[in-house]
Amino acid sequence: MPLAAWLILAAGLFSIGLYGVASRRGAIGILLSVELMANAVNLIFIAFGRYRGDHLGQVFTLFAVALTVAEVAIGLALVILLHRVRRSDERVDEVRELHG
Amino acid sequence: MSLPIELALVALFVPAAMAVLLALVPPLRRTGRPAAWLSVLAATVSLGAAVWLFADQLAHPTRDLLESVAWLPHAGASMADVGLRIDGISVGMTLVVTLVAFCVQVFSLDYMRSEPDADLGRYFAYHSFFIFSMLMLVLAPNLLQLFFGWELVGLTSYLLIGFYFKKPSAAKAAVKAFWVTKLADTGLLLALLVLYSHTGGFEWTSHPGADVATLVTLLLFVAVVGKSAQFPLHVWLPDAMEGPTPVSALLHAATMVAAGVYLIVRTDPLFAQAALTREVMVYIGSFTAIFAAVIACVQTDIKKVLAYSTCSQLGYMVAALGAGSVMGGYFHLTTHAFFKALLFLGAGSVIHAVHSNEMSDMGGLWGRMKLTGTVFLVGSISLAGMPFTAGFFSKDLILESMLESGRLLPWLALLGAAFLTAFYMGRVFFLVFLGKRSEKAEHAHEGGWEMRLPLVLLAIPALLGGYFGAHFAGMWHLDYEPEWNLQAFAPSLVPILGFVAAWSMYGRGEARPAPAMLAPIARLARSGALDHFYEGVYRVLGLKLAAAVGFFDRYIVDGLINLAGYLTLTGGQRVRRLQSGNVRDYVFVVAFAIFALSAFGMLR
Repeated sequence: MPLAAWLILAAGLFSIGLYGVASRRGAIGILLSVELMANAVNLIFIAFGRYRGDHLGQVFTLFAVALTVAEVAIGLALVILLHRVRRSDERVDEVRELHG
Repeated sequence: MSLPIELALVALFVPAAMAVLLALVPPLRRTGRPAAWLSVLAATVSLGAAVWLFADQLAHPTRDLLESVAWLPHAGASMADVGLRIDGISVGMTLVVTLVAFCVQVFSLDYMRSEPDADLGRYFAYHSFFIFSMLMLVLAPNLLQLFFGWELVGLTSYLLIGFYFKKPSAAKAAVKAFWVTKLADTGLLLALLVLYSHTGGFEWTSHPGADVATLVTLLLFVAVVGKSAQFPLHVWLPDAMEGPTPVSALLHAATMVAAGVYLIVRTDPLFAQAALTREVMVYIGSFTAIFAAVIACVQTDIKKVLAYSTCSQLGYMVAALGAGSVMGGYFHLTTHAFFKALLFLGAGSVIHAVHSNEMSDMGGLWGRMKLTGTVFLVGSISLAGMPFTAGFFSKDLILESMLESGRLLPWLALLGAAFLTAFYMGRVFFLVFLGKRSEKAEHAHEGGWEMRLPLVLLAIPALLGGYFGAHFAGMWHLDYEPEWNLQAFAPSLVPILGFVAAWSMYGRGEARPAPAMLAPIARLARSGALDHFYEGVYRVLGLKLAAAVGFFDRYIVDGLINLAGYLTLTGGQRVRRLQSGNVRDYVFVVAFAIFALSAFGMLR
C-alpha cells in the first residue's frame, strides 16, 4: 500500500477521535476518543518509518504507547475520583470548578 | 614586620579587642567596675606601646615607615591600601592620644563611680573603642583609611555625648553634634571622590595640579570646619558639654576635635599647593580664635568657658596652618591636648565636688581643693601662654609665623585672642577658687587617687611640653630655637596683661556682670542667633527639599511600580475569562490551534 493510503487512514482515525472528544459528554467516551487520536499518530509514525526504511518510527511508537499508558492511568484515576465526589454520572460539562 | 609596626599594632588593636569583648559579652560589661578596670588595662597596654614607639622614634627622628596591604584586591588591582604610617607626626599624636585617653579613663574610675554597673561598662567600652578609632585615624597611610577613622570617632563622639541619653538635652546635643559634623564630613567624602577621579588614589602626597588641589583642600577644609568646630559650624561643641566631663576632656578638647587640625597637618603637601585655601584658613581660623574667646568671657558654666576656649585654640591652629606653619599648628595641637585635657579634668574634679557646672555655685575652693587648684592654675597659665609654659612656646611660634607671613590683621586678632584667653582663664580661676565659698562648695573635697593621679600626670606635659619643640622641628627639618627677643616680648606680655585685667575685675572672686563692651556679644551668644539661623535654613530649605524628594519618591518612583502592578492585575482580570472551566472549550481551542498551525505550515 502507498504511504498516502496510510496517512488518509490515520487522518480519518484522528478526525473520528477529535469528533468524539468534541461531541461526547461522558468522561469515559472522551478518554476513548483521545486514545483513538493517539493511535492515529502512532500509525503515522510507523508508516513514515516504513517509508524511510528504518526502525525509527517503531521506536517512537513504543515510547508513545508507554506514555499513553501513563496518561490513561491518570485519566482513569480522574474519572474515578470525579465519580466518587459527584456520586452521579460523569458529565464533564458540569465540572466547572476551575473556571476563571 | 619591624618593631615600630608591631608596637603600633598593639596600641591599635588591644583597645579594639577590649571594646569588642565588652560589646559582645554583656554579662562582663554589666559587671561595671571589673569591666572598667579591663578597659583601663587595655589603655595602659596601648599607652605603653605608644611610649615605647615614641622613644624609638626619638632615636631615629627622621624615620618614615609605611607598611600596607592592598585593600580588597581584584584581578591584581586594588582601590587603595590599608596599613600603618609611622613617622614623627603620627607617633607624636599616638602618644598624645593614648596618654590623654589613659588619664581620662583612670579619672573616670572615680568620677563615674556612682553610675549603675551596666552604664559604667558601656561607658568604658565606648572609651576603648575611641582609642582604636582615633589611632586608626592617626596612623592611616592614606585619606581613605583616615576617613574610616574620622567617621568612627564621629560615631564615638555621638555615643559619648549622648551617654546620659535619658536626659533630653543630652540626646539632642548628641544628635546635633552628629548632624553638624556629618554635614561637614560630606566635604571629606567629596574631596576623596575628586582626588580619586583625578589621581586614581587617595595619597596626600599626590600632585593633581593647582586647581584640583584647591578644590580638594577646600572640601577637606569644610570637613575640618565641622570637626574642629570652626566658625560657622562651631555650634555643636558647646552643646557637646552635655556629655560626662572626662569625655569632654578626651574627645571635645584634646583629641577628637583636633582631628581636623591633624588632617590638615597630614595632608599639608596638598594644602601647600593651594594658596587660596590657606588664605581662607587664616581668616576663618583667626576669626574663630577671637570670636570664641569673646564668648568664653561671658559664659557662666565652667565647661562652656572651656568649650569656647577649645574653639578659640583650634582657630589658632587652623590660622597657623593657613599661614604655612605646619609645625606651629601641630605643636600647638599637642600642647593644647595636654593643658586642655588637664583643665577639663580639673573642672571635672570641681564639678564632682560641688555637683554643679555653674561657677556661681563654686568659689573659695582653694582652701578645700589645693591639688585641683594648683593643677588648674598650671593649665590656665599654660593655656594663656605665660612664659616658660608649654602653651607659650607653641602660641609664640604661631604668632611669629603669622607675623612673618605678613598678615597684620589676623595677627592682631590672634594677639587679641591671647589677651582674652588669659582674661577668661583668670576669671574662671578667681571665680572658682577665690572669694567666698558658696553653700554647695562648703562640703567640697578632693576626689580619690584615681582622680588625683591623672591631674598630676597631665600637669607635667602641660608645664614642660614646650621643650619638645626642637624634636618636632626635626621632623620638618626646621631650626627651632625659642627666641627671647623683642618679637617674643608681645606674646609674653599679653597674657600677663590679661591676668591683671581679670584680677582687677574678679580678683575678689565675686561674679560681676560682663564688661559693658562685651554685653551685646553676651546677649548675642545667649540668644543663639546662629542656631536659629540654622534652624531657619533647615525649615525653609531642608524641609522643602525633603518634601520635594518625598513627593518624587512617593508619586514618581512608587507610582511607576504601582502602575506596573496595576497593569498586571487588570490584565489578569481580563484574561481569566478565557479559563471557562469547560473541557469542551479547551478541546475546541486545541483543535482550532492544530488547524491554524497546519494551515500556517501549508501556506508558508
